[in-house]
Formats: sequence, structure tokens, C-alpha cells
Amino acid sequence: MTEIPRSSRRAHGVRGGISLRGVTFRYPRSDVLVNASLEIEKGGTTVVTGANGSGKSTLLYIGAGLLAVERGAVTIGGHPTDPVHPSELTRRGVRRGFVFQEGGLVANMNALANVALPLRYHMDLIGITLATVEKRAKSALERVGLTNNEMYELPAYLSFGVRKRVALARAIAIEPNFFYFDDPDVGLDPKTAALVHEILCGYRDDPEVTMLVATNREILVDRLGVPGYVLLGGRLLERKVPGPVESTRNRA
Amino acid sequence: MSLFPRRPESEPPGVVQNVGKRTMGAYRETWGLAQTLVGALAAPFEPGVSARAVSSRLAIRQVFFTGFEALPLVSVIAIFVGATIVIQMQMLAAQLPGELIGRIIVAVVLRELAPLTTAIIVTSRSGTAIATELGNMKSNSEILALSSLGIDPLRFIVWPRLVGVIVSVLVLTVYFGILAIMSAYLVGVWIGASSFAALQAGFAEALVPEDLVLYLVKCAGLGLLVGWLSCHYGLQVRGPTEVPEKASRAVIMSLVVSVVFNAAVTLGFYMMVGSPVR
Repeated sequence: MTEIPRSSRRAHGVRGGISLRGVTFRYPRSDVLVNASLEIEKGGTTVVTGANGSGKSTLLYIGAGLLAVERGAVTIGGHPTDPVHPSELTRRGVRRGFVFQEGGLVANMNALANVALPLRYHMDLIGITLATVEKRAKSALERVGLTNNEMYELPAYLSFGVRKRVALARAIAIEPNFFYFDDPDVGLDPKTAALVHEILCGYRDDPEVTMLVATNREILVDRLGVPGYVLLGGRLLERKVPGPVESTRNRA
Repeated sequence: MSLFPRRPESEPPGVVQNVGKRTMGAYRETWGLAQTLVGALAAPFEPGVSARAVSSRLAIRQVFFTGFEALPLVSVIAIFVGATIVIQMQMLAAQLPGELIGRIIVAVVLRELAPLTTAIIVTSRSGTAIATELGNMKSNSEILALSSLGIDPLRFIVWPRLVGVIVSVLVLTVYFGILAIMSAYLVGVWIGASSFAALQAGFAEALVPEDLVLYLVKCAGLGLLVGWLSCHYGLQVRGPTEVPEKASRAVIMSLVVSVVFNAAVTLGFYMMVGSPVR
């Protein structure tokens, strides 16, 4: 049985979950969100589904405070987001873990350095030593099943699945209280996908972790068994639990 | 159908719309450039001891990549530039006094060619590398990933590169100047243009205290411009197809702005020191 990582440190500056109120965000030729609202209370989990290209990833970026919105307000842990100064939220106790669809690993750093980077950058905020950084990074990589050889490889020399596991390790190593998963199990073998599902369920049950998941995989939606939203034409429609992923393409 | 079909436009924009679009584009670009520079310069003053230590280590690495690894290329160019100038002077005016040759070498090599050629070398070698690397990082969601981890891109990516390029241009310019003058001396004496003592006398006579100000302003300014523009255009990439386009724009802008800046500082120096130039 895999040990499920838990958010070990209660962040004192965090006073809520993830909140999007009346948010509008547009790309030059498409509306991703139009006056959309989404509330996830502290410790809650929400799954967002939607057709390919509907803007699920962008919604996650907005929910993580990585993109500036045209209109509306986004708060994480009760704090307004500022995409230009992302460390501001970290200083206020918001520790975000984000697993990108393609990994988003820094290309010129090996797997171990990628996982250790945020720990080292925030060593003073987290209150750990350099020795702990390496220990924690290695432990996170071992947790997702990386071999010792793979830890010292650059992302370009790792397979897609391994890169995704490194991205997961990087996110869990920082012991986040806000977790974002963008298609977390796509492109993974059944064993790794099961491991990812198990980790996600672990975080779902952790009252300190607020989680936003974007996926279209029914198996994952069923496994998490939480309420969610369907992203359709810039609107967020509530989806009851449990239920199949709605065919948004037909509804559109 | 064309090999590269374009999106059908509903109505071609008129002259006023085109002017408006270009004006807005220029405004956005200027604003973006200012934001990159101000953000990067303010980055080291942000709180976070560990973040400061990480950025400083990266800046040292950048000095190694931009400065130390460019030494062979700078050496070759400096040696041949110094030699070429003294040969040309001898060809143009064989009867030129040795002291005057020394003074001209100071004016041409130390004040003009050393900083400008160094900036051009750094632009072509490291400016392209920085713009391409940052462009690829942007298109691979690496920048977003760093932000999601609470790592400021301006502090982690732009500031160390800015410092690396400024320090490298400062050091490489001195290195270029020394090598080019040594080469000019040796070749000048070898072809009989002047004696070593006459060249040295001219050199000592031409140098003024204001040269130190000129050197610092030119090198720090050129380094700042090259580093800033390379980082900015790299970060403007929105997708993989834009990487070569933005890298090319970064290089062109760096070269044009560097040449203009160099001329402007020289003019300022002329007004400060006065005529006739010693």
C-alpha cells in the first residue's frame, strides 16, 4: 500500500478555499469564462469536466492565480491572487501544488533538482534545512516510483509517464494545501494511473487540502465521487455526484 | 487551396483601424518592456532569504556561461581587430607619428570597438540563447509551473540573466581592450608603423579620467540592454512556432538599440571632454 502524503503543516494564513467570483477570461478568439463563479471550501475537492478545448486547463490556471482575469475576483485561502508576484501567496501560507498536463518540468534541471527547486527556493518559509530538502525530494520521487537512475536524468530523457510522475513528486514534496491536477492520469500505464488515483483520494480526504481537478476520465470522476462542474461555452454548470461525465460536445 | 491557408477575415481593416492597432501594439510593447525591466530590477529587494540565495547562485552560473565561455571567441576577434586597425592606419598614412597612432587606438579600440563589439558578441552568443531558452520555457509551461510553485519568474529567470550579461560585458570589454591593444602594439612595431615607446606615450596621453565613466556607462548600459531585451522577447513567446521569431526580434532589437546607445554615449562623452579629442 502506498503511503499517502498528507499536508503536515497547518498554514495559519489560510482562511478559506478556492473562490472565483464573476470571472471573465477571454482568448482573442474564444471565451473561456464569462461571468463564471466557482467556490471550493477549505478542504474540499471539485472536479471540472468539459470537452477538449473548452478551457479546463485555463480554468485551473486561473484558479491557481497564474493568469490575470479580465473581470471578477479570484482568491486562494482568502487572499487575492497576483500573477506577477506568485511568491506573495506562498509567503501568506498558500502552498500550491500543480500537476500540469505535460509535466511543466524545468528542462535544464534533472528530475531531483526539479523536485528540490521549490523546497530550496522557499527553505526559509517552510523552515527546513538543505539536508532536509534533498531527503524530502528523494522521498517524494521514491513515493511515485522513480528509480535512482531516473532521478538524475534531464526531463528530455525521461518518458512522458515518468515526467508526469516527477511533476507529481514536485507538487507533493512541497506539502501543498492547494492542489491542482490537470488531466492527472492521461498517458499513464494502469499501475501508475492507479497510484495517481490513490494519491488524489488521499488528498481528497485530507481536511487541510483544497483540490481542483480537471479531467474527462470517468474512472477518476467516479473514484473521487465529489460534486463538480462542467465547463461549457464559458459557463460553469454544476454536476451532481456521482454521475457520468456529461457529453458536453452534444450539449454544445 | 493555399499550402498555408489563412483565417478568412470578415472585413479587411481600414486605415484608421490599422493605425489604431499599431499604436496599441506599440503602447503594449513599451509597457511590457518597462514591466520586465522594473520587475527584474526590483526582484532582489523582494523578501525571501532562500530565494535570494538561489537567484544569486544562478547569476554566478550565468556569468560563467555568458562571460567565461565567450573568452575564446572574444580573444580571436580582439586580436584580429587590433591588428587590422594598425595595418589600415599604416596603409592610409605611413608618416603618421607613433604617438598619434597610440591616441587613435585608444579612441577607436578602447572607447568604441571594445564595448560595442563585446556587446555584439554577447548578443549573438548569449542573447539568442537566452531568448530561445526562455521562449521554449514559456511554450512548455515551465514559467507557469514555476509561478504555481511560488517562484517569481522575474527573480528566478530574468534577474540572474540580467546580472550575468551586465557583469560579462563589463569584464569582456576590458579583456577585449587589453588583447586588441597588445595585438595592435605588436603588429604596429612589426610592420614598422611606430616604436613601442611612441605608441605607449600616445596611449598614456590619450587616456583621461572620464574614460572610466565612459567605460562604466557604456558597458553597464549595453549589458543591461542586451540582457533585458533578450529576456523580454523570450518571455513574449506564446507557442513553439514563435520561438525563432521572438529570438530573431530579440537579437535585432538588441543590436539596433546597442549601436544607437553607443553613439549617444559617445556624443555625451564628446560634450563632456570637449574638442579637440585628445
